[in-house]
Amino acid sequence: MKASLKLNRRAFLTATGGAALIGAASALGAPREAMACRGRLATLIDLTRCDGCDGQAIAACVSACKTAKAGDVPQPVDPIPIPFPSRKVEDWSRRQAVSDRLTPYNLIYIQKAEADTGGRKTTVFIPRRCMHCDNPACATLCPFSSNHKFENGAVVIDPDTCFGGAKCKTVCPWEIPQRQSGIGIYLKVLPTLMGNGVMYKCDLCQDLLEEGKTPACIAACPRQAMAIGPREEIFARAEAMAKRIGGHLYGQEENGGTSTLYVSPVPFADLNAAVQTGPGRPHLRPVARRMAGSDGLGKAVLAGPALGVAAGIAGVFAAISRRKDRSGKEE
Amino acid sequence: MSQDIREAENRVFRHSGLEMAEHWAIALSGLVLLMSGMFELPMAARYRITALPGFAWSGDFIASLYVHYAASLVFAAAACFHLVYHGLRGDLGLLPKQGDVRASIAVIKTFFGKGKEPPFGKYLPEQRLAYLGMAVTIAVLILSGLVKTYKNVFAPDLDYTLVLWATWLHNAFFVLFILAFVAHIGALLLRPNWPMIRGIFTGTVRLDYARHRHPLWIATLEPPPAPPEAAAERAVPAPVPPEAAPETTPETVAAETEADLPQTPPEGEATSPADEPDGAART
Repeated sequence: MKASLKLNRRAFLTATGGAALIGAASALGAPREAMACRGRLATLIDLTRCDGCDGQAIAACVSACKTAKAGDVPQPVDPIPIPFPSRKVEDWSRRQAVSDRLTPYNLIYIQKAEADTGGRKTTVFIPRRCMHCDNPACATLCPFSSNHKFENGAVVIDPDTCFGGAKCKTVCPWEIPQRQSGIGIYLKVLPTLMGNGVMYKCDLCQDLLEEGKTPACIAACPRQAMAIGPREEIFARAEAMAKRIGGHLYGQEENGGTSTLYVSPVPFADLNAAVQTGPGRPHLRPVARRMAGSDGLGKAVLAGPALGVAAGIAGVFAAISRRKDRSGKEE
Repeated sequence: MSQDIREAENRVFRHSGLEMAEHWAIALSGLVLLMSGMFELPMAARYRITALPGFAWSGDFIASLYVHYAASLVFAAAACFHLVYHGLRGDLGLLPKQGDVRASIAVIKTFFGKGKEPPFGKYLPEQRLAYLGMAVTIAVLILSGLVKTYKNVFAPDLDYTLVLWATWLHNAFFVLFILAFVAHIGALLLRPNWPMIRGIFTGTVRLDYARHRHPLWIATLEPPPAPPEAAAERAVPAPVPPEAAPETTPETVAAETEADLPQTPPEGEATSPADEPDGAART
């Protein structure tokens, strides 16, 4: 297990340029992210190792996340403006301790599955958080670009510009982002007519990554069930692990590919059938990337100006040709 | 007489078929873009636009993205065609000229009964200014939209600073586009401009209207009126040395015509808002 952790960290540091270099870069006044976010990262969640910190009130990863993100969600105004016309307010500020689902105050939780695979019962614990998709609609379709995918693969919401319209949640196949009403920029614009708070989800501890550190949940796992590192390396490890145990992968193809790979000893269809799903409790079904269908039309849009220019030039030549024909006939 | 003037039908050609196609391609795709752009905000479901007959799709962000893309293709291609085609042909009549700002202020004052509307060329000075404003708005929307589209298709991790610039420019100019659209429709609602509405559908406007309000344009289409003495000379032909003959240029034609024209248009036709939407123009 120690070796596993060491490998994780070594791989991570290789991807990010190395802790020593980060320290040196900081000392020299170079931008902090220069070293830390270099390269594409991925995370591996080994479900053969995760035991959900059985026996503890809250799993170590969940607890570490809560600690790392404590104070990130400001206190909402009282009363929270009632949005028109939906009148739907989401206030988790009085339920901050909830840890059995995703909330603005709980960005990772453990799903428990009593999977039945051909009559064979297996108990599997599944840490659930944002998958950090390769082409995340939650980020690309955000009307204010408050949600963005960074080069290292982390998909991060900027709470300072998010209006809490929850479009990111709607387009996410797992409905991961969670809203806290009564906070954020929308209060300064049109609180009852536009927006409804701020959306929150796992940001892969981008601030820690920038410092060359490991995300809180990964660092806290006592069984080293989670790892982060260069994408190719993590993918290769996940595939090799799945092959070795005759296991299954989730996250490699889902929603067009993600930066989070789950390795499970039982099929994910069985896990999906066994887990509790609903608001804040995502499924484990296979999902296609819906926006993929629009990519062809998007490429045509990118070619649109060239089409217009070509048609314009052709039109001018046609006009000249017509004029010559006319003058030829008149002569 | 110019072939653009059909005296018997009391019509004068103002827009070619191609120009009308450009106008309507940009106008209709722009309208669809405004609508689908609003749907891309989390607006349709919240404000129950989805409940309207035929608009159930409006709450589906991916469906409205398809619509937005389809309209963008037409919009960007038509705008670039307009720029290149008319740019290469030297059709520059809609570009602002020196003094247009001052002239526009004077014209706007006539709306409030101050002064008299001067005779116009084919386009009003404020039309030329509005055209430039609309062109800049459209250009920014297209450029920022292309960055956003590229990000969606190829590079979701595109440089965040560039993405933020593209997004906020797109949003800001989206608002300006709405305002420009509202102003454009508002101008068409003014009674004096009603005769011009027909032009963007059929390509022609009433000749008597154009002679009253756009005499400087009509003067460029019609031969100059023969001066009385010239007519008399034609009656009694006499050799005239070429250098003694009055030189007729478009400027002198315009000046002469302007001097001969009534300074006050007929009642009810004295205001001058824009009449050519989106810069599609026959120059």
